[in-house]
Amino acid sequence: MIIILDIFLNTLDVFPRAALLTLRLTVTSLLLGCFIGLIIAFFRISSNKLLNYVATVYIGLIRGTPLIVQIAILYFGIASIVTFSQFWAGALALAIHNGAYIAEIFRGAIQAVDRGQMEAARSLGMSYPLAMRRIVLPQAFKFSIPPLGNQFIIGLKDSSLVAYVGMAELWGSGLSEAASNYRQLESYIVVGFYYLALVMLFSFLLKKLEKRMSLDTKLLD
Amino acid sequence: MITISNLVKSFGPQTVLQGIDLTVTEKEVVVIIGASGSGKSTLLRCINFLEVFDKGEISIQNKKIVPEETNLNKVREEVGMVFQHFNLFPHKNVLENIIEAPVHVKKMDKAMAAEKALQLLEKVGLRDKAYAYPSNLSGGQKQRVAIARALAMEPRIMLFDEPTSALDPELVGEVLQVMKQLAKEGMTMVVVTHEMGFAREVADRIVFMGDGKILEEGPPEQFFTNPQHAKARQFLNRVL
Ligand SMILES: Nc1ncnc2c1ncn2[C@@H]1O[C@H](COP(=O)(O)OP(=O)(O)OP(=O)(O)O)[C@@H](O)[C@H]1O
Ligand SMILES: [Mg+2]
Repeated sequence: MIIILDIFLNTLDVFPRAALLTLRLTVTSLLLGCFIGLIIAFFRISSNKLLNYVATVYIGLIRGTPLIVQIAILYFGIASIVTFSQFWAGALALAIHNGAYIAEIFRGAIQAVDRGQMEAARSLGMSYPLAMRRIVLPQAFKFSIPPLGNQFIIGLKDSSLVAYVGMAELWGSGLSEAASNYRQLESYIVVGFYYLALVMLFSFLLKKLEKRMSLDTKLLD
Repeated sequence: MITISNLVKSFGPQTVLQGIDLTVTEKEVVVIIGASGSGKSTLLRCINFLEVFDKGEISIQNKKIVPEETNLNKVREEVGMVFQHFNLFPHKNVLENIIEAPVHVKKMDKAMAAEKALQLLEKVGLRDKAYAYPSNLSGGQKQRVAIARALAMEPRIMLFDEPTSALDPELVGEVLQVMKQLAKEGMTMVVVTHEMGFAREVADRIVFMGDGKILEEGPPEQFFTNPQHAKARQFLNRVL
């Protein structure tokens, strides 16, 4: 116990900064992932066979391979085409991974909106994109918040895997810390605390958002 | 006003509309009746091009509409539709529901659209509900808002698909009242309904459908007192 506290105090110059990097990495990759997810979700529900196929293959590949393999391939793949900073290469790899799962969340939410909504909008002369943007998506967004929150927490924890391509985020720092102080167990416990704190912060914010949304959703039929 | 000729529509192997010919003239109120599954909704949805049909022609105001070559959004601006389940936008209040299309489709000034919306709400007796959300309205109120919403686009013709079927019996009257008023003002209307009283009183013409065809049509007096087709007689025996 004393040793854990000791390590905690001795790493105050390392782990908080690493935790901040983890947070930046996570938020960046999830925002990008939402963007990718929305586009892929549209591909999935589109009547265009090619777009459909692209989305299905993308989701299938991401779901069918381990994240660590994707990170390695994307990281070195991206690095061999364009020179990104390490941060952006890692964030992009995580975004491409999370995007597939977020796409499925968005697709489900869009399809959960009553078909009558689109029909009513179209019958008023609204074009498909306009009806999607003004009528369907705002309702779908509310449906997608709980599963999206879940995916955000998974995304936060999964970001630890970019340590293996050399990023000194929380887990990466934990690895080097343990290697230098020879106190593996205690060091990893400290790192665990930091992750737990971050997840609790995320959960708190998500719950607040959900509550605010549910005040609005009471207005839903 | 609307001319439909030889309209054919299939869902997979099932031919739901088997060559419909129907003309609706200006200011006419046509009531379509028929058993469940006879294709009434499908016909209405074809008139609005919400459904893609396989064969036949629809002309609106003597202009043949070729779906591939026409901006159907423009056509739908002229053809209002009221649905059985209202389909109000739940995330918008009554006023926002009504001004949504005028503002975003017709690019009408928001204040002007709101003013017009309030007039329409006055007309359907819901002026005091302008800022209520759909979930706080009764079925009858929802349907009257839906009618106001469709009217806000100033359509030349209104389609109603069983507008009172989802309502509690005591709420049917208030919706029919609004529709009667609309008919009296000279709106061209095509109404699918099971309300025979309304059909008899308001319709200029009854169209009886069965198995995807129009089996009989004529003025309500003639249809209700002396139906010609055996299926029409059967149907009337069941519902009257
Ligand atoms: N999207 C669809 N896909 C497949 N079949 C459909 C679809 N829409 C309607 N049908 C079928 O077409 C037939 C006619 O349907 P329609 O809704 O036009 O009948 P209706 O006369 O309006 O009946 P109701 O009085 O029950 O509303 C029915 O057999 C129905 O099952
Ligand atoms: Mg129907």
